[in-house]
Amino acid sequence: MVAKKRERLDVIRDILQTIKQNREIKPTRLLYASNLSPQMFKEYINELISKKFIKLDIDEKEKKTFSLAKKGHDFLQEYRVIESFIENFGL
Amino acid sequence: MSLYSLIVENKFILEAFYALIICSICMLIVLKTDKFYKLSLHRGIRYFRNAFFFYGVAFAVRYLFGIFSDFSLHYAFVFGMMFEYFLIMAGFFLLYSLIYRKIESPTEYYKSSLLNPKIFVFHIMALMISVFGYLWQTYSFMFFSQIAVFFCAMIISLVNHKRYGKQRKFLKFYFIAMFFGLAAWTLNLLVALLFNWNPALLINIGMINVIFFLLFLYGVIKFTK
Repeated sequence: MVAKKRERLDVIRDILQTIKQNREIKPTRLLYASNLSPQMFKEYINELISKKFIKLDIDEKEKKTFSLAKKGHDFLQEYRVIESFIENFGL
Repeated sequence: MSLYSLIVENKFILEAFYALIICSICMLIVLKTDKFYKLSLHRGIRYFRNAFFFYGVAFAVRYLFGIFSDFSLHYAFVFGMMFEYFLIMAGFFLLYSLIYRKIESPTEYYKSSLLNPKIFVFHIMALMISVFGYLWQTYSFMFFSQIAVFFCAMIISLVNHKRYGKQRKFLKFYFIAMFFGLAAWTLNLLVALLFNWNPALLINIGMINVIFFLLFLYGVIKFTK
């Protein structure tokens, strides 16, 4: 059986969920967990940062980590409702 | 005064009121789903919103059509064609929101949902139908196209309901809405061809149409509250 390709909404949910579970996560670990190509990963991350869903923190040793912003938390809460709306309207 | 003559005498007010109700419902649907779309950028939500945006514009045009048709026959033709065009496009968008997954690949993402290669085909079809309607001075082309669209949409929503109805309760209402939509278009055709646009019958069709839009509004409010 061919696995169903994830919708954009599912990819975003997965990325945010992973960050939430880890509180803070390094870019490489998040890339592996997201199961995306580096190019696609970069596109999603840039979009999530620009939309203020996630924050990129850089410490004094120049180590980068991602953490969830308030909007990201809001999205995860809304996700169930949006998913339910999509399913109930057959969209 | 009989009900029939009351309707005929107040036709303009009733039509304006009717257009205003439908237009308001459509705008409410578009506004209420705005947050969902902005958060998800989901293609299905986008096409669904387009459908109701076009319905809203169509009925706004119809309202203007009522005003300007009293002044000039030329305006009446122009607004009549615009009304047809927007209404046909709305039907196409509603159907497309149900079948886009079969047509577009998951990675396919167009910046514009109003004008992209796939939607362009609908624009051409809607334009052709409204121009033919104008040239032959008939609404039959529009009626037949929308009966076909709603028949397909009703079958798809019935399949969805049979498959997932137990977990997704609104699919039943979606199917009912599509049934009302199909009934309204079919009755419209019959009233135009067999009953010479009988105003009393048109009122009943108008009420079926209002139920169609209210069912969608109910669903949208239920999920967005």
